[in-house]
Amino acid sequence: MNNNYQIAVDHDGKSIWKFLISELKPKGKFFTLFNIISLPIMLLGLGLIVIRFIYGIGSITNLTQETPWGLWIGFDVVTGVAFAGGAYVLTFMVYILNVHKYHSIVRVTVLNGFLAYVFYAGALLLDLGRPWHVVNPIIGNSFGVSSVLFLVAWHFLLYMIAQLIEFSPAIAEWLGAKRAHKILSGMTIAAVIFGITLSTLHQSGLGALYLMAKDKIHPLWYSEFIPIMFFVSSVFAGLSMVIFEGSISHKVFFSQISEKNHHAQNNIIRGLAKICAGTMFAYFFLKLLVFIHGQNWDLLNTPMGYWFLLEMLGFVFLPMTLFFYSYRTNNTTLIKVAAILTMLGVILNRLNVTVIGFRWDAAVHYIPSWMELVVTLAVIFTEIWIFRWVINRMPVLRDSPSWVNENK
Amino acid sequence: MDGFSYSDIFATKGIEYLVIIAFLALLIPFWIVLNKQSKMTRQIQSTLGVLSAKILRIPQGLFYGKNHTWMYMEKTGAAKVGLDDLLLHLTGKIKFRYLKPPGETINKGDLLAEIDQEGKLLRIFSPVSGKILDTNSLLNDSNGMLNDDPYGKGWIYKIKPSNWIEEANTCYFAEDATNWSAKELERFKDFLARTMKDYTPETAMIIMQDGGELLDHSLSALPDEIWKDFQNEFLNPDQL
Repeated sequence: MNNNYQIAVDHDGKSIWKFLISELKPKGKFFTLFNIISLPIMLLGLGLIVIRFIYGIGSITNLTQETPWGLWIGFDVVTGVAFAGGAYVLTFMVYILNVHKYHSIVRVTVLNGFLAYVFYAGALLLDLGRPWHVVNPIIGNSFGVSSVLFLVAWHFLLYMIAQLIEFSPAIAEWLGAKRAHKILSGMTIAAVIFGITLSTLHQSGLGALYLMAKDKIHPLWYSEFIPIMFFVSSVFAGLSMVIFEGSISHKVFFSQISEKNHHAQNNIIRGLAKICAGTMFAYFFLKLLVFIHGQNWDLLNTPMGYWFLLEMLGFVFLPMTLFFYSYRTNNTTLIKVAAILTMLGVILNRLNVTVIGFRWDAAVHYIPSWMELVVTLAVIFTEIWIFRWVINRMPVLRDSPSWVNENK
Repeated sequence: MDGFSYSDIFATKGIEYLVIIAFLALLIPFWIVLNKQSKMTRQIQSTLGVLSAKILRIPQGLFYGKNHTWMYMEKTGAAKVGLDDLLLHLTGKIKFRYLKPPGETINKGDLLAEIDQEGKLLRIFSPVSGKILDTNSLLNDSNGMLNDDPYGKGWIYKIKPSNWIEEANTCYFAEDATNWSAKELERFKDFLARTMKDYTPETAMIIMQDGGELLDHSLSALPDEIWKDFQNEFLNPDQL
């Protein structure tokens, strides 16, 4: 019983190091429109980050003692994590509920989720006064157990590991490591269950960060139910991001996707629209209940009240009806429009809680500086560059190599 | 304590209960309308040739054997035997070949006939024992009869049964037959999924649309090996 069990695929006799170095070379045209726009911003952002660490956070941001958390936390961390929620929802549907219809998009969504957490946890470092202390919750140099951030730090670390394990079979396929692939594939379901359990708490945990700021957040957005609201909205935020990013990837990486997956695309988007419609219906009523419970209806007739109504009606109720209608009439374009509106609504909601509604009554309102915007964009563009690098090399959108089926 | 305010969390209890009831009340029509398959889709499905349980014809008064044959006792005491609609939808247009002549006595599970599609064969075994009275001359002339009217003019044998009550008892009847046919369709989809693994994705596209809907006459596009597997799984006389 001496099977010729190949540990790794032979890359035409090249060593693994030569293979890795050859993979670093760019594939495709270098001077595309996206590259021309993003590269200067990324370089400028890098410069600004260096300045931030030399001269302190006040040198490039408009943060003050009154508003210590601004765009980087409000948008990069809080909103970015909400959009990464597609990973846990999709893995739940495919691996737990066995809805195999969505199997073809799991890998790309998990990749997106992983990159999102890595980059947005990284963006969190930018806000820390002593960034080297970020390991404290883990190594125990004063854990900080009374802070919600202890939970957030641990969850981010564990979830990144879980997502890496979920994604690692694709890496093993890229490297041709057959034995590793077998072991890692076996760990997938455990990583998925762990990841979903973690997600439920840290999605709501980011909302819990703001529970202590009762007097600082506008009453229409502050309630003891912020964590639950954040968790429920992360479901449709993540799925809308999957629809949005999936549509873009479908066009950009058209050549990689197999014939079968092309045809399945519309059906997948339609199924996701249905789930979004249902979740947003529940979310709308939850928000209504919280609004009634807060007894703040007389605040509706204020500018912030109109802003609240705009968010609720224009960016939750409207996209919900659009999802409902476009699902029934099978109108893919309308589904994508609804997804964009939903994403804008989630951004609006998160920014309202963290930045706009935070200290709305301050004498000097916090407005992010252009440098904060550049750094935020630089973080997002870097993430997209790495995403593109991975997609072009690893079997994420294209089918796995044939030896994968032999392994089973 | 500084800045401590006490708000009555039960003040709006009544309204909140009403909102929850309204939510649940609205959820039911919301979900129903969301999931309702529009008449248009159903019509398109049947014209496009999608095979779903809804378009199967299953007369409730017939006895259906597990090998997709049906039998029906007429007032004269003779039983008509035929093939069911699901089998014919799966195979598509076929040629029918009698293997037993009238006058012969057969037992349940004996080979009665063969259906043929361009060399691919399926064997039909008898769901009933008895003496063969007659064959259907219409089937020899126009073979479309079998597919168009499998329960009426497309009957295949007239048999005088020798053990009707016991053998009819092992068959499906009325709603059980309808439920069983729907289950068989699902079982066929699983069977396809299992066998299609070894075949090219192009063949899979001819059989199933991307929603997982089975196209009509799926077996006609598949090779002989799958017909043999189909014979063992679905038309096995040992199941009778």
